[in-house]
Amino acid sequence: MPGVLHSLPYFVAAWLLLCGLYGLVTSKHLVHAVVCLAILQSSTYMLLLAIGYRVGGSAPIFADISTSKLVVDPVVQALMLTDVVVEAVVVALLLAMVVKAHEKSGSVSPNDLRTLRG
Amino acid sequence: MMTNPPISPALAVAVPLLSAAILAAVRKWLPRVAMDVLGLLASLGTLAITSILLYGSVYHGASVYWLGGWWPRGSTAIGIGMVVEPIGAGLAVLAALLTSLALLFSWRFVDSGQKHLHPLMLIFLAAMCGFSLTGDLFNLFVFFELMSIAAFALCGLKTEEPAPLQGSFNFAITNSVAGFIVLTGIALLYSVTGALNMAQIGLSIGHRHDPLALFACTLLFCGFLTKAAIAPFHLWLPDAHAVAPTPVCVLFSGLMVELGLYAVARIYYAIFAQSFAPHAYALHVILFAFAVATVLLAGFMCYAEHHLKRMLAFSTVCHSGLMLAALAAGGPLGLAAMMTYLVAHAFVKGGLFFLSGVLLHNQRSITERELFATARHLPWAAALWILGAIGLAAAPPLALLLGESAAERAAELSHLHGLSAIFIIGGALTSAAVLRVGMHAFFGWGDGALSDRSAEIGELPETDPEHRRLRAYHLIPPALCMLLAIALFAYPHWLHILRDAAAAMASQPAYLHTSYTGRHVALTQPSWREAIPGAVTRSLLALILGLLLALSSVFRNRLPRHLRVGAFVERGFHPLREMQSGHPGDYVLWMTVGIAAFGSAFMLFLRR
Repeated sequence: MPGVLHSLPYFVAAWLLLCGLYGLVTSKHLVHAVVCLAILQSSTYMLLLAIGYRVGGSAPIFADISTSKLVVDPVVQALMLTDVVVEAVVVALLLAMVVKAHEKSGSVSPNDLRTLRG
Repeated sequence: MMTNPPISPALAVAVPLLSAAILAAVRKWLPRVAMDVLGLLASLGTLAITSILLYGSVYHGASVYWLGGWWPRGSTAIGIGMVVEPIGAGLAVLAALLTSLALLFSWRFVDSGQKHLHPLMLIFLAAMCGFSLTGDLFNLFVFFELMSIAAFALCGLKTEEPAPLQGSFNFAITNSVAGFIVLTGIALLYSVTGALNMAQIGLSIGHRHDPLALFACTLLFCGFLTKAAIAPFHLWLPDAHAVAPTPVCVLFSGLMVELGLYAVARIYYAIFAQSFAPHAYALHVILFAFAVATVLLAGFMCYAEHHLKRMLAFSTVCHSGLMLAALAAGGPLGLAAMMTYLVAHAFVKGGLFFLSGVLLHNQRSITERELFATARHLPWAAALWILGAIGLAAAPPLALLLGESAAERAAELSHLHGLSAIFIIGGALTSAAVLRVGMHAFFGWGDGALSDRSAEIGELPETDPEHRRLRAYHLIPPALCMLLAIALFAYPHWLHILRDAAAAMASQPAYLHTSYTGRHVALTQPSWREAIPGAVTRSLLALILGLLLALSSVFRNRLPRHLRVGAFVERGFHPLREMQSGHPGDYVLWMTVGIAAFGSAFMLFLRR
C-alpha cells in the first residue's frame, strides 16, 4: 500500500498532463485553452514536488534543526517557484491576447481567430 | 588551473536586460529617436561584451564562470555555471549582431504606438545570450521561457491586424507546451541524477543506460525541436513568422529557431553521448528521418506560398531540417557542419527578410501578385534578393556551401546515405521560390503571379505612408548580411576555430574538463577540404533545378500542359495545406503525435 501511495503523485502528474493536452486539442474557447495550458503546467508542479519529497523529511530550513536531519529537497521547490512565475507571465500574456482577439472579432473561438492558413 | 573569462559573461545578459528595464521605464518621456539611439547603443554594447568573450574563449581557451562565486565542491556543482566556449559565445555574438541590424532597420518603424519594440528586443537579446552561454539545464529552461515570452509579445506587436493575434496565440500555446515538456524532462533527469548542471548530469549518467533518462531525453529533444520547428512540431512557425514585424522575423528565423537545434546538440553531447554511444547510428537515423520529413514537407510548402514572409518562414523550416540532417550526420564534423550552416543561413535568411521588409515599406504590399513588376526601380534590392536565392541553394559564393560540404563529409564517415539528395531537394525548392518571387517582382517576367488564401490576407505596411522613400538604414542591414555571408566564404580561416570548438563540444570528456578542471583536451578531427568540389557541383545542380522550376512557373502559359511542373507544385498539395490549419488544438495534436513517434522510435531502437 505505501508503494501505491508514494507513486500516486506521479500518476496525478501524468493525469494532469494528459488532461491539459486533451483540453488544448479539443478546445473551442480561447479562455478554456489558456486554462488547459495552466492545468498542463500544474502537472510539472506535481512532478517536481513529488521528486523532492522525502518520507519523514521536514522543511529544509536549518535555522532551528540540525543539519543532519532528513529534509525534503529544496532545489525542486525553488524550481517550482520559478515555474509558477513563468506560468503567471504566460497566462497573463495569453489572456491579454484573448481580450484583444475579442475586441477585434467579437469572438473567443479558435476557429474564428484563424485567418492565415494553408 | 581554472581560467577565468576576460569579463563576466553575466554582463552579456545583464546589460541588455537592464537597458530594457530602463528603456521600458522611461519610454513615455523619450522621443522616438532617443529610443532608437539608446536601443541600438545597448545592443552594440552587448555586441562588444560578447565579442570580448568570444575573443577570450578562442585565444585563451574555454572557461567557466560560477555566478556569485559558488564554485563546485568536488564534482558537485552548487551554483550556476556559465560556460564560455567559442560556439556558445559565437552564437551570442551572432544574436547581438542581428539584433543591432534589426534595430537599425526598425529606425522610424511603426511601433504599436506604445514604444514596446526596443525593450522587448533587448529582453529577447538577453535571453538568447543567456541561452547560448549557460551550462545549467534549468537555467537553459529559464532562458528558453524568457526568450519565448519576449518572442510572443514581439510577434503580436501589430495588434491592429487579426493575423498577428492568431500567429502569436498559436506560437504561445505550442511553445509553452514545449517548455513544459522540457521542464518535465529536466525534472525526470534531476530525479535520476540529482543534478542540474549539464556537466554533472553527464558525469552522473556516464555509460549508464537508464530507461527514465531515455524518456527524459525524448521529452527534452521534442521540446527543443519544437523551437527548432522540426516536423511535425513546426506548424506554429509559419503562422508566427508571417505576421511578426520584419526586424523581429530576422531574429526569429536567423537565430531563435536554430537555438533549438543548438540546445539539442548541447544536451546530446554533454549529457547523453556516452550513454547512447552503442546506439549512435540508430539515433542518427531517427534524427535524419525527422530531418528528411521536415525538408520535404517544408520545401514543397515553401514553393506553394505567395505571401513573401510566409514563404521565407517555410524556407526557414526547410533549412532547419537541413541543419538537423547535418547534426544527424554525427560526430564533431556533423556538429561543425551544422554550426557553419547555421551562421551562414542566419545572414542569408536575415538579409532576405530585411528585403521583404524593404518591399513592404516601398511597395506597401507583401504578396507576390500585388508586387508583380512593381520593384523594377530597385536594382540593389534585386541583386541582393537573387544573391539570397543563390545562398539558399548553398551555391558559391556564400558560406552555406562550406556547411553543406562538411555535412556531406560527415555523412560519408558515418555511412549515412541520402544526405546529398536532401540538400539538393531542399536547396532547389527554397531557392526556386525566392527566384520566382524575384523574377515576378523585380523583373516583371511572365504574365502575373498565382496566389493563395493566406497571401490574399496580406499584411498592412509597417511604416508611415509619407515615408515611402528608401533610406540608407533600409538597405545597409540586408547588404551587410549578404556581404558577411560572402566574407565568411572568402576568408574561411574561422573554420579552424569552429572545428576545434565543435570537437571540444562533441566530446563529453572535453566538456567535463572545461567545466571542472579547466584543462584543455587536445582533439583532432578529419578535414573536409576535399569535399568542397563535390559540394560545388551539387549546389550548382540544386541552383539549376531551382532556376528551371522557377522559370517553368513564371512562363507557365508558354509551356505545353505536361511541362507546367512549376505551376503544379505552386498550387500546393491539399493535405499539406490542410495540415497548416491555423487552429492551436491541431498543432498541439501534431506535437503529441510527434512526441509519440519520437518516443517509440527511441524506445524501440535505443534500448539496451
